[in-house]
Order: sequence, then structure tokens, then C-alpha cells
Amino acid sequence: MPTETLTREIFRNIGSGPKATFYGLAVLAGLVAVTTAWRRIRRWRSGRTSETRYPLGQRVRALLSRVLSQATLAKTRPAASRAPRCRCGGFAVLTLGTILIAVEHVAAMLAGRAADDPVFHKGLYYAIYEPVMELAGLAVLVGTGWFLLRRRRADSSVGHRTSDWLVLAGLLFLGGSGFLVEGLRIIEANSPGRWVSFVGAAVAGGLEAVGVTRTSAVLMHQCTWWLHAVVALGLLAAVPSTRLWHALAGGVLLSNHPPRTLGTLTTVTIEEVEATGTYGVSQLDHLAVRQLVSLEACVSCGRCQDECPAHAAGKPLSPRDVVQDLAGQLPGMGSEDAPVLAGDVVSDETLWSCTACSACVEVCPLGVDPLELIIDMRRHLVGSGSVRGSSATTLQKLGRSGNPWGLPAEERMDWTEGLQVPTVDDQPDFDVLYWVGCAAAYDRRSRNTARAMVQLLQAAGVRFAVLGERERCTGESARRMGEEFVFAELAAHNVKELSRHDVTRIVTHCPHCLNSLKHDYPDAGGHYEVVHHSEFLAELVSDGRLQVDDSSGKRITYHDPCYLARVNGIVDAPRDVLTAVGAELDELPRHGCRTACCGGGGGRMWLDDGPDDRVGRDRLEEITTAGAETVVVSCPFCRTMFGDGLAAADSPTNVVDLAELLINSLEETS
Amino acid sequence: MHVLVLAEHDGERLRAGTTAALGFARQLANGEDDRVTCLVLGDSVDAVANDAATFVPVLLGSHPDLAAPLADRWAAVTAGVVRSQSIDLLLGASSTFSRDILGRAGGLLGGAMASDVTGFRRDEDRLVWQRPMYAGAVTASVVLHGNPLIVTVRPNAAEAPSRVTPSASITPIEIDTQHVTTSTRHLGLDGRPSHRPDVTEASVVVSGGRGLKTTEDFEQLVGGLADQFQGATGSSRALVDAGLTPNDLQVGQTGKVVAPELYIAVGISGAVQHLAGMKNSRVIVAINSDPHAPIFEVADYGIVGDLYDIVPEMIQQLDAN
Amino acid sequence: MSFLVLVPTKRVPDTDGVIRVAPDGLDVDTSHLSYLINPFDAIAVEEALRLRERRDDVEVVAVGIGGEAYEDELRTALAMGADRAIRVDAPEPLDPWNVAEILAELSRRLEPRLVLMGKQAVDDDSAQAGQFLAARLGWPQATFASQIDDSDDGATVARETDHGIETIAVTWPAVITVDLRLNEPRYASLPGIMAARSKAIQEIPLAELGIEIQRRVELVELEQVSSERAGQRLETVDELLDHLKENTDLF
Repeated sequence: MPTETLTREIFRNIGSGPKATFYGLAVLAGLVAVTTAWRRIRRWRSGRTSETRYPLGQRVRALLSRVLSQATLAKTRPAASRAPRCRCGGFAVLTLGTILIAVEHVAAMLAGRAADDPVFHKGLYYAIYEPVMELAGLAVLVGTGWFLLRRRRADSSVGHRTSDWLVLAGLLFLGGSGFLVEGLRIIEANSPGRWVSFVGAAVAGGLEAVGVTRTSAVLMHQCTWWLHAVVALGLLAAVPSTRLWHALAGGVLLSNHPPRTLGTLTTVTIEEVEATGTYGVSQLDHLAVRQLVSLEACVSCGRCQDECPAHAAGKPLSPRDVVQDLAGQLPGMGSEDAPVLAGDVVSDETLWSCTACSACVEVCPLGVDPLELIIDMRRHLVGSGSVRGSSATTLQKLGRSGNPWGLPAEERMDWTEGLQVPTVDDQPDFDVLYWVGCAAAYDRRSRNTARAMVQLLQAAGVRFAVLGERERCTGESARRMGEEFVFAELAAHNVKELSRHDVTRIVTHCPHCLNSLKHDYPDAGGHYEVVHHSEFLAELVSDGRLQVDDSSGKRITYHDPCYLARVNGIVDAPRDVLTAVGAELDELPRHGCRTACCGGGGGRMWLDDGPDDRVGRDRLEEITTAGAETVVVSCPFCRTMFGDGLAAADSPTNVVDLAELLINSLEETS
Repeated sequence: MHVLVLAEHDGERLRAGTTAALGFARQLANGEDDRVTCLVLGDSVDAVANDAATFVPVLLGSHPDLAAPLADRWAAVTAGVVRSQSIDLLLGASSTFSRDILGRAGGLLGGAMASDVTGFRRDEDRLVWQRPMYAGAVTASVVLHGNPLIVTVRPNAAEAPSRVTPSASITPIEIDTQHVTTSTRHLGLDGRPSHRPDVTEASVVVSGGRGLKTTEDFEQLVGGLADQFQGATGSSRALVDAGLTPNDLQVGQTGKVVAPELYIAVGISGAVQHLAGMKNSRVIVAINSDPHAPIFEVADYGIVGDLYDIVPEMIQQLDAN
Repeated sequence: MSFLVLVPTKRVPDTDGVIRVAPDGLDVDTSHLSYLINPFDAIAVEEALRLRERRDDVEVVAVGIGGEAYEDELRTALAMGADRAIRVDAPEPLDPWNVAEILAELSRRLEPRLVLMGKQAVDDDSAQAGQFLAARLGWPQATFASQIDDSDDGATVARETDHGIETIAVTWPAVITVDLRLNEPRYASLPGIMAARSKAIQEIPLAELGIEIQRRVELVELEQVSSERAGQRLETVDELLDHLKENTDLF
């Protein structure tokens, strides 16, 4: 059969009266949807305006690539990514198809064509259009069914509202009834080329097999058509008031391009605080537009909660609940008696539970950033004077002494005892600055890392120098505890010192220092090439500048620090070093970018915590279960957390830094 | 010079700090015209007066209103005696008792006062007092201007004087009840349930670390050693983590910050988190089996060895003294 | 009339700072030191704020006695939440007697119901000013408070003594000096300190109070106590106890 004759009549078998009713209902549903949506969008606009504006074209490109690929999910949960990918893709296609139908219909009416004489809805176009729509319909059905199954299993992290069930049931019904309507239409119209609508044709075949005839199909088609239409219009009207809204909010969120980099935070200056009179977030309108949108984009899927180390440790924190609790305040936004977000809506204890490990940010398919919300609210807690106890002490010590323990700056070089470590004054023509960090400077266990590091640098003939007594804490902890101004002061000091010595390249063994120098310092005027010691050492080994004995054969396991692996993507370099020394690596269940937190980040290192609910206990168990003789770390925080934890558990596993491991395999060269 | 020592007592006997203050008073008042008198206040405290009289003559002020050492009343009575007896120097032991009462008496008597004195010297006709400042980081030499002088002395500043036989005189004094105010009332004294001071308040802190294996060991060794000094017990985070000690004993960055006269670290390796909580202690002793433990780097005195041998021996020797 | 709480705050060197005697032997070398509110006074500020949270008629007035540099610490007190601050412009350092005289005169003028202050300042460690003040005013005193339960007439105060917790009742007006365990002071951040700039710091010259400084304590010499740890490895318990007897006040 020639394809030119392929088409189908729109509104076939629907009389003009019912058609008018349908138009009326459609306009009504559209109005409801648009007004509700408009109210919601207006609410977004009361947030702080975004710092960056993205051109529309860029937005659309970002949206298409990120939504259709579901890149985040595909990376973090490949299996789980299929359901939303099906639903999302299917929906997009169906929506587009429906719009095309409407265009055809209006065009035909304007042209005064007969019902069976479409403008473009025919021929080759139709032959492609129909199967695509069929596939999309199937995709939605499968995706929704899959999701319903997950909801029915009631994974603890999945949020449930009655309206969620209704929406899902509606979607399922829409898919099913759509194919039924199609099947009945095919029987009723008895038009040639039914194979183009292959699902519909199959349904029609089935119906005919059970005795549906062309005559009986007329009424059945009209009834199911109406059911389908009413449910469709109902869902359309309900889009802005149900979870379906996330498609729009999420779309807006995902169209931000480029997405925010993990490990970055928004800077607040004291001038801004003076101008606005607020610091941090205590009310919804202190949030950026982007953040307000994100509250509505969240579908409560709970993936963030599943990944959250604080939640796993029994802390009151669930990133999903934080987002949902804030979203729950949206209806009362801007009212006089709106509760204080930080403290009343989300408790202090919840906010202080976060280790800033960034797993929740990484895993969110819609680009919601619970960490940013938490730190914004911590900022309010810091600014409003509700910080006490050991966190207050640490912040005070950071501000006054430039290190978290309040130890004198004169002791910063004590770790070099017996070594010749050049300072920037001793060796002004250094190639790379070695950033020692507070832990290695003061903590006697971490000192071994720095001592190993400088011996390795010297063995490789690297011209390096350290800042010495003028180095201060980067302020990373302070910043993630919400104390932007102690951070700013420390950063200003360090940037000044680094600039004075024209530092351009920095190597550090601390991922927190690394992240801060790399992502926090540009805002403070410091722009450096920052490399982690694992990268630097791996390079020295591969260049042959370090001669390594590769016969260690030690069974070891390696823990990826959050701020090295997840946040800054450095996972191969440390493994290259492990391979170089011939270690047998037993990977932990969670490794690489999907690592699990030790519990020391986000300022939690400085909080008074009972041992039973300390974040990172599950990670400790993974390490002890792995049973390796040695767990290699590449972060002083992880080293301390695991060192303490393993010793308390009387575990035979010992903790060493990568540099210490390497130096033991260094071949003596004359 | 006439020195008056205000007696701190338990209702039966002078407390050790007061006998040391009497010894200090004797060193000061060693001329022929010099006198040392002890002022005993309280209600029905003849036993205390008898005890004090074995050292020096006693003025005894006994009255029901003086039953509890309320500063308002005791300071008023003490200041009255200082004036009526033309006392040149009012002395007491360094303690919360003296800081409270002699401090107030000092306010009534013109404020020429030095606290926590550890020694004195004569510089021509002036008395120069030595006392610690900045939590013991420096020793100040000060001269007081005024009369009378008020001084509290550290217990180690002098030995207790020798007792005299027969006992010296006990002279009752009239308590003028107009001194007694009702604006302060004593409601009770709660002895410490654990009989140990709080770790942030104690002048001696004994802390245990990972070297200890059980809660019983902790109590027996760390607790036992602390009790020899009427000191407090502390704990490293590791031991809290191991579930051997409660969180409120934790000394360190995430626990309590302490600065006692003496800090004894038993089986503690010395992570910086712990050091941050105790580095300002005046004297630090470390006992650890690992000769490379970082704690030795910050300690004044260290013994490398098994704490299960060393601590019992310390307790035994201290007990024998 | 409001329930006025006067909180004297002293500016002291950071307790983490290394204290070194200046070359003249009459002062400590302050060149490298940062300063803060005497930690015990910060506890007093915190307690005054908590009192204000419990009672609705409380006004918290922080007082500093010293030069302009004191304003930094008064700002911190204001940032913590004090309603206003007074700086009595006076030469430093003052001995406790003169501090008490100034506070007594201020108290006669302002008629506070409560003077709440640290039990001691961590620089000179005298622990006298509060008691002197109570004596000068003839008010009841409760020193070393670890708990304060207030009522309309006065307060029940738990005191940290060498022999346990003593509980006493005092009537207003009273002087209470506070100990470590009373509370944990809140953190004053830069935004709080900036916001506190709008609150007034009233400056009162010493002459206006009609007070002449009469020195009671004359510092003639400061001597460094070695901060170097002896770092001695000992072999026996006997040796250790001998060293402790010699070098501590505990035996």
C-alpha cells in the first residue's frame, strides 16, 4: 500500500457536541494549570536573583542533554535510571506529539479542510509519527509500572503522598486507555495500514479475537475516548499542584548550564551582609531563585538519603527531608509568622550532622543541592549566635590562632625536626609550593605524612618550598561550618602570603586544603594550579624520578576521601601509586567516586559526638570486614577518624598515608 | 606585726591548707614583737579551737548564725576582729573558702590583697609577695599598699608549724548579731556524689587512654591514682569510643579543656585532639608502653613501661605517705 | 523599672597565646597576642542573656574598664546580645580594688539588681573584684556559681566549692561571680559584631565618676616560668614522685 494514503482522522467518531464540550474542558484545564503554575513561578521570583544568567539556547541544550540522558542517575544508579529515563523520554515525545496533533487540527480547521483530509498528518510523516508515539506510550507505561513497583516495595527512602499514588495511577490509566482507544478506533475506522500503529493494531487484534466488531466498537470507542480525555485533562490541570510539577521545575533546574561544580560554595561578603541585613538563610526568600526552584524539583525519591553517611549513622539528617521540609514551607512563604528555617523547620542538630561529603548533591538526578541549603542554614546559625560548645571553640581558635587547636604558629615547623625543609624564604626559586596543612603541622601522627612527602620530593629532586610559620588553616572547615568570615580572613592571609612569593603551583596531601585552594580561593583572589600529592607522586613515579621497588606484594585496601574522589574526581592517581609499589589492592565495596564518608568533613571533626552515633561507623565496618593488613588513606581527616576508630575496635588493620607507603618502597639510589 | 589566720575547718579540725597558712604566718611573724593568732568561727566548734590552739593562740567566735561559712557574715565578723585587734596581716589558705570570705573581708578592709601567694621576701622594709599569674606562666612579685594586708597562700608555701604544749590560749569573742544579715541564706552542701571534682575544676587530673582494657581497670588505676590527689579523672576520645568511659570525661578538642597543676596521662598516645585539651597543664606526666608515643613530646616527665605495673606502684607509694 | 544586669567584662590575652615576660620585666610581651573577653566574663554575659530570655524585664549592660581597645570586647558582648555597653575610660592595668571602686560607683548610679561577672580574670588570676564589689556595696554575694535559679526576690545559687556544691540563697540586689560549668557561651560572629555597631557604647571618663585611682597592688617584677617541658624520661616511680614533690604544690 502506498504511504501517501496513510493517515488517521482526528476526532473521528466524536460528534460536534462532544467535541465542543471537549474544547471547553480543555480550555478550563489549561486555565487551571496556567494560573496555578503562574502562582508558583511568581513565588520563585521572590528569591534572590541568580548570579548567572544563561542564554535560552544554552539552557535548552543543557536541558536536553541532561534530562534525556539522565546522566546523574546513569552514573550513580544505572538500574534505577531506566525508569525515569523511560517516563521522562516517553513523556517528552508524547507531549510533543500531542502538540503536533493540535497544530494539525487547528491548521486543518483554518484551511477549511475535511476531517479526512489532513494538512501534514499523513503519508511518510504519519508512518514515522505513529510508531514513535507508540514506542513513547509503551515507555511511559513501562517506566510508570516500574516506579509503582518500587513504591510498592516501599523503599524507606521513597517519599509517599496520597497524591503521588493518584498521579501514578492516572499515568498508568492514561497509557492503558490510550492504547485501548487506539485499538477501538482502528476497529471502528477499519482503515488500511493499521500496522503503522503497531501497539494499537495488536490491541485491535486482541479485541476482535474476543468478539468486538466494527459496530460494537463505535460506542466503546466513544466511552473510552471520554475516559481517556477526562483523565488526561485532569492530570494536565493537576500538573502544578502535584509531583508532576517536578518535570517543569526540574527542567528549569537542569537547564542551568554549566551545572555548579561539586566542592564550590557561594561567597557572602560582609558588605553584602551589611546591605541586606541578613546572613545565611532563615526564611525562604533568602534563598536564590535556583534554590527555590530546586525545592519544587525534588520528587522525594530518597536517593540522597540512601547515600547520606549521617543518615546511615542514625543522625537526624536526611537530605531529602531537609529539602522537603523547606518545600513544605513554600505555601506560607513571606508571611509574617513564617517559622525560622534554621532551627525551627530544620533542627540545629540536623544541620550539624552533615559532613559535607557531597554524596547527596552528586546523586540527585534533578540537580537539587541539599548541601548548599544546609550550609546556608548553618550560616544563619553562626550569624545568630546559636553556636556553642566545641564548634564555637574551634571557630574561635581558627579565627585567633589560624589552626583548629589554638596552637602557636611558631610550632608550625616542629614537624620538620631532623629534616631540611626549605621555606619560601630559604628557597625563593621553588617550582612548587608544598602546602603542609594544620594536621601535618601539629598532629604527631599526621606529621609522618609530611615527613614522608618532603623526603620523596627531595629524593625526586623537586625544587619545593613551604610557607612555614606563615601558613594558616585554609579555612575550609570554618567555611563548611557556615562561618564565612573566619574563612575570608584566613583566605585573605594565605592569598597574601602566596602572592608575595608568586606561588602558581601547589601540591598538598590534604584533600580539604586542595578543594579549598582550588574551589574556595578563586573568590578570595587566589588562583593556583593545585595538585594532590597522589597525582604529584604518581607523576614522579611514572617519569622515573622516583625509583620504586614494586615487590611489596602487601594486601592493602584503599579508602577514597570524599573531597579527593567524589568532589575532585581524583581516583586513578592514588591507585597508580599503589600499583607502582606492587601492592595487592582489595577494593572496598564503595570506592572511587562512589566512596563513603569517614565522618570527619564539614566541620564534624570538631564536634562533640558520642561514639555510638558517630558518622562513618559503617565505613569503618567495611574496612575491618575487608580484613586487609593496611588501609591506605590520602587525607589527614580520614587518617584520624579511621586511626581512632580502628584502634578503639582493637582492629589489627593499620592506617597509613599514601606517601608513607611509597617511601617504604623507595629504592635507595646513590 | 600581728598576723591573723582565718581557720578553714570541717567542724572538728583545721584543714591542711590552714595549718600550712599558720606555718607561713610563723615565717612572716618571726620577730619578738610579732604575733600569730588563729580566728576560729562557726557554731559549737570548740574541737576546732582546741586543734588550732595546739599551734597558736585562738580567738573563738561561736554563734548559731555562723554555722555555715556564708561570706557576708563571716567576712563582717572577720573584718571586725581585724579592726578591733589591730591586725596587720590577715591570712588564709588558697581555697574557695578563703577566696570567698577573705575576698569580701578584703573589700571591707581596703583591698590591699594578694591571692595564691607562693612565697615572700623582704626588700628593705617592704614585703614582696610572689604569686602566679596567667595560669602559672609567669610569677609576679608584688608589693601591697595599705593596712591591713590580706593574703591567701598556696598550701605548699609552708610546712605546718610544730605544735606547742601546753596548748595556747583560747579567747572567746562577742559576735555582734547586727553583722548578721538575712540577705544570704545557706541551703545545703552537696558532697560530690562521685567524691571526685569535675575534670575542668580539679588541680590534678589523671586521664586514661587506650592502654586501659576495661572499665574496672580504669576505675581502679586511673580513679585510684586520682583519688590519691583528690583529683579528677579524664579520658581520651579513644577510650570513650571504646565504650569504657562516659563522654563527659573526655579531655580534648571535642571534650573538656583542662589546665590543672598536674596532668597524668596514663596509656594515652597523644593525638593533637587530646593535646589541645590539656597542653596548658602546668606539669604533665606521661606513662605509656610505646616509647615513640607523641605524648612524651609534650610531657615534663615520662615513664616508658606497662601502666599495669607503674600505676599500682604509684598508688601504693602515695598511699604509704 | 527594668531588671538591670551589669556584666563587667575584662579584656585579656588569648588563653592560647604564649605568655612571655617583656624585656623590662614589668609586663608581658603583648606584641604577638590577640585579645578576648575573659572567658569567665563571657559565661557571665551568656548567663545574663539567658536570664533575659527567662524574664521579660531584663536589660543587660556590659561594662569595660580601660582604654579604647576595650571596645572590641564590648562589641563582642553586644554581638552576643547585650543591650548596651559602657566603657569607663581608665588607665590599665587596674588592681581589683580600683575595679571594684569603679563598679561600685557605677552600681550606685545605675542601680542594677544584679552584677554578674567572672569568678576571676585569666590574666592576673586574682579572683577578688567581685567580692570587693559586694563588700563595698554591702550586697549579698554568691561566688563561683555553677547554677542560678532566679525568682522575683532573689536567686538560689549553686556554688562550686572545694568540698562540693554549696547552695545558697541571695536576695536582690546581689553580686554573683560565675564558674566554668554554668553554661557554654554563644559564638559571636562577624555579622553579629557588625550589627552590634548600631548599639551604643557609652564612654564615661573616670573623673566623671569622682574616682581617683589608689594603687593597692604594685607590680615590682615579672618572672617567666619556664614553659619548656622538662621532657625527662624517668625509670622509676620513685624518681617520678621525687620530681613531682619538688616541682608541684601538691605534696
